[in-house]
Amino acid sequence: MSTAISTNKADKVNPAVKSTAYRAKRRFIIISLVPILLLFGVFAFLPIAWSLGLSAFKYDPLSSNAIFVGAENYIRMFQDSIFLKSLWVTFKFVFIAVLINIVITLLIASAIQRVRIPWLKNGFRTVFFLPTIAPLAGTAIVWNTMFNYNDGLFNMILAKVNMAPIQWLSDPHYALYSVIMMTLWADIGYNIVLFIAGLDSIPDMYYEAATLEGAGRWHVFLHITLPLLRRTLLFVSITTVVSYFQAFPQFQIMTKGGPFNETRVLSLQIYEQAFSSSNMGYASAMATVFLMIILLVTLLQLRWGRTQWEH
Amino acid sequence: MHFSKFMLILAMVCVVFAEAGCSSSSSSGGDTSANPQGKVNLVFWSHQEDAIVGAYKKLISKYQTLHPDVTIEYQTFPYDVYSQKLKASFSAKKPPDIAEFFGTWVPEYSKNDLLVEIPDSENVKKEYYDAPLGGYLRDNKLYGLPLEYNIENGGMLIHPQMLKDQGFDHAPSNWTELVDYAKKLTVRENNVIKVKGFDFVSADNITFTFLSLILQQGASFMGEDGHVNFHSPEAEKAMSTLVSLVADDQVADLTTFGGELDTSDYFFQGKSAMTYRGPWTIAAGQNNYKVDDFEYVSVPSFTEYPPVFAAESGWGLAVSKKSKQQAAALDFIQFISEKENLTTWNTDTFTVPAKKEIAENPEFLKNNPHLKPSLAILALGQWIGPIADRDFFFKQVNDNFQLMASGQQSVQDGLANIEQTINDNQDQHK
Repeated sequence: MSTAISTNKADKVNPAVKSTAYRAKRRFIIISLVPILLLFGVFAFLPIAWSLGLSAFKYDPLSSNAIFVGAENYIRMFQDSIFLKSLWVTFKFVFIAVLINIVITLLIASAIQRVRIPWLKNGFRTVFFLPTIAPLAGTAIVWNTMFNYNDGLFNMILAKVNMAPIQWLSDPHYALYSVIMMTLWADIGYNIVLFIAGLDSIPDMYYEAATLEGAGRWHVFLHITLPLLRRTLLFVSITTVVSYFQAFPQFQIMTKGGPFNETRVLSLQIYEQAFSSSNMGYASAMATVFLMIILLVTLLQLRWGRTQWEH
Repeated sequence: MHFSKFMLILAMVCVVFAEAGCSSSSSSGGDTSANPQGKVNLVFWSHQEDAIVGAYKKLISKYQTLHPDVTIEYQTFPYDVYSQKLKASFSAKKPPDIAEFFGTWVPEYSKNDLLVEIPDSENVKKEYYDAPLGGYLRDNKLYGLPLEYNIENGGMLIHPQMLKDQGFDHAPSNWTELVDYAKKLTVRENNVIKVKGFDFVSADNITFTFLSLILQQGASFMGEDGHVNFHSPEAEKAMSTLVSLVADDQVADLTTFGGELDTSDYFFQGKSAMTYRGPWTIAAGQNNYKVDDFEYVSVPSFTEYPPVFAAESGWGLAVSKKSKQQAAALDFIQFISEKENLTTWNTDTFTVPAKKEIAENPEFLKNNPHLKPSLAILALGQWIGPIADRDFFFKQVNDNFQLMASGQQSVQDGLANIEQTINDNQDQHK
């Protein structure tokens, strides 16, 4: 009804006035977007384009000459055992950490969501979110001390239960898992909050209907909660995967890629090639491949997680 | 105002802000010149280490008293970020006038014509030992003045009481004796080493010891075209010996490698009887641990040849070619390198002198008796060579050493890996 009235009114407006209004609207949109587009252009798109161009050169920042090498950096990359290792470590880290993160955060969020006392629910949410406030670099330093072989907290606990101490960060069998442990502790707060919001948005009527039908808790979770949480799950998985692909400070501070490159993720390898070894061209080529990988993984996730419904 | 004009102004404002943000001059690096009063301002950068900072401050103060027209703005950076900070400032063409360099970093700068040549290079270089000078030389010209001799070889920390408890009344005098001592000094509890007999498993010492054992057999580790050669019988013998100390003799282990503490820290805590380390660790024992029940003694040669060794060029000073006050900056680093001032610097920082006249001065030895084993072998040092990426080089040796010592890789395969990866890396920097 209201739509029809407004349409009728609009029909009566002079075409010249209509055109002015349209221009004003367009001007407002452009003015609003220009600063952010400039920001993106200068600090995101330009560096990406620059890096893309640089990947075809051999370039040391201290030298005034950049030598054009074409695809040489890309060819070299796939013969470079350290690059291939770092690619493998990155995928291993992302797969394990994302999987554990989503399982844990979903379980914790489900548990918190069941709490019916508001102040207690908020309290839990705050407690789990607190670690995310601390800068990751600071958290990594604190965890470093807890992983210390001689007098770190974890080995003290192992000693209490008469277990042999572990080289948490320098044993190739444990190093990556130690960093994953720290990353999960530091990061789960975000996803818990997102999952709680997602769970809160599921209408109670579905649960009520399921209860009336006599469905068990596991059945309800599997057939109601999970499907209706799919959009949240998609958002959480994409943001977590992208963020874990880019994980850097914890590796730089805690292990520097060691031992034996077992914790050398791609972002660390790119950083070291660019700023320690001064191979800017090679680092740019790696960054380009990295960008493509993240883009591809994200697109696949979007495709597989697509939903056609709303509730 | 017309819309397009407004947009143009907005875009210009954004660009100006971005430009200002990217290029705003700071007090660090490059902003140096003679001011209207004729005073010369120099910016000087160094890494942060209490003794080194204190020594520089003392000499800066002395220089400024003697040259009231010169002001030196001294800025320091943590070691971990210093190398990159320096690189960034030179790439941005805003370097400090005077910079402290680690000798191994210098070739990358001198090759790109970023440093000022030291006047009278030909004569000046005669005043220094070869090893500390190597990194600062290019085409026989000098691009900086080394302040110290970076020596990690030739000397070790020992606990005399631990030796006496095992019936040893003197330090080992040959390699066989060293291994024998090490085995008897190692203390184990439930198959875990509690006191290491001979600890050399540190990030620097694995590489330095390996290279020196090759040299002490009369061989070389540098091949042609800037490549390393680790497939010689001498290299295999050197690496097998080191691996054997961990894998077979078990006088040291890998448990503390890569941790926060240095091998010298474990020594001063009583967790090793003999530790192969540079003399700079003596200061740590005396200052941090307040202990004096140790000695710094010579490490015997691996063979009947003299204990020759490989060394990097250590800390030194260089002047940036971008400096607007090159003459004043050169004058300052020459002032620091004068005998009296450099002696003070070496004494205050507990470093081994790079300058012959200081190291050979009996007065210096009298004031620094712990340095005797190091001072005795300075002439036997050989510059490590043109290593393009020092950290990468050492990491390859260390990583593969761990794999070999833990039995995950044979010595031959390990050496082949090290050689291949280092040579590939060297080629990338040509």
